[in-house]
Amino acid sequence: MTLTLHHAPDFASTIVRFALEELELPHTLALADIDGGALASPEYRRVNPVGLIPALETEDGPIFETAAILLWLVDRTGRLGPGPTDPDRGAFLSWLFFTSNALHQAALAMFYPHRPAGEANSAAAQAAAQEQITARLGLIEAMLATQSPRWLSPDHPGVLGYYIGVLVRWLILLPPAPFGIRIDDFPRLNAVLAAHEARPAALRVAASDGLGPTPFTNPGN
Amino acid sequence: MYVLHYAPDNASLIVRLVLDGAGIPYETALVDRRLRQQDSAAFRALNPTGLIPVLSTPAGPISETGAILVWLADTHQLGPAPGHPDRPVFLKWMFFLSNTAHADLRTVFYPHQYAPAEAHRAHVEIMSARMLRHFALLETAALQHPGLFAAATPLGAYVLVLTRWAALYPEDGPRWFDLAHYPTLEALARAQEGRVETPVIARAEGLGAQPFTRPEQPNPPEGSVL
Repeated sequence: MTLTLHHAPDFASTIVRFALEELELPHTLALADIDGGALASPEYRRVNPVGLIPALETEDGPIFETAAILLWLVDRTGRLGPGPTDPDRGAFLSWLFFTSNALHQAALAMFYPHRPAGEANSAAAQAAAQEQITARLGLIEAMLATQSPRWLSPDHPGVLGYYIGVLVRWLILLPPAPFGIRIDDFPRLNAVLAAHEARPAALRVAASDGLGPTPFTNPGN
Repeated sequence: MYVLHYAPDNASLIVRLVLDGAGIPYETALVDRRLRQQDSAAFRALNPTGLIPVLSTPAGPISETGAILVWLADTHQLGPAPGHPDRPVFLKWMFFLSNTAHADLRTVFYPHQYAPAEAHRAHVEIMSARMLRHFALLETAALQHPGLFAAATPLGAYVLVLTRWAALYPEDGPRWFDLAHYPTLEALARAQEGRVETPVIARAEGLGAQPFTRPEQPNPPEGSVL
């Protein structure tokens, strides 16, 4: 498998990097000069017409959207998540899509609060996003309590653990006061993420991307 | 037997178009939004987010439209299988539909969840402009991959229902979407309306004679849209 990941440290492409390292899949990093407008170039738009990172170039052409890449990797390798015939597949897909379209989207609304209704309404947009983020992490915490799924577990690495780990990292680090989250409010999720960030593959990515020793549970460290 | 937990003209419509298009047997279970049944303990046990649709399967309930579509595609061979060279195309546009197009369109329907009342006008203007860019990308993708964006397929049904809603909602807001600007999607809408199952679905959910090429406000025989 020949793979090239379009990447910038601590952007969503980092989520894919954690998965690639965990899978020990050889890959090339193409560093995107985001401030230099690289994502708007015609060359990059041929890889990803949406103009976002990550994108992963594969022997079957480019794939973009973080969660799409994660699912493609699970299905190609049979690792880091349940495959199509696994009885857990439906629940895994439900929470992967939820993480992508609800938790990740609410995080983006927090980080780019002018997007929904202009600069004048940024504070209100952030307050709305804060409420959604807390509620959605609460749903994940409750799901962990009732289902203890193998695909989001302290005992098994998985793409969803890395995905939520990076989102939690940003939600601890980036929102201006009084917004943001405390990982102690989500103890089961904390345990899952602590196990993921301690894995050798995760430590390699954290060192390379400059994310610190505990990038998910204590990202300011 | 599958059970599709649905409300008329909700995202369950996307799943219904795919199930009926493939001739997969299922039962429907109305979630009566007028009674706020989506917040009932019974429904929250199926989907803790309280969102429609849910597909109950022998392997348990599946929530999230995109998740249901990927699961059905893999279980019933309705899309490129893992390892197929078109798999990247299928997955990237499925997630784009879910987390970008569908998610942004939802903010146009429910502006009060995202912006204060005095900002709704600015919000609809900004988000509808974003949606037009999303539809332009989807038009190109559908042109490049006609088989993956065919009528009654997971990607085709998903994008078509979003075009229907873009033409109808917000009911009291300015009209901002015209399917005629997207010829590939318009042809897809005609193809979907030409299929035998479409009038049956349209009657069941009160969607009118041309639910995609000439959308009108739904008048469902049971349940309510909101």
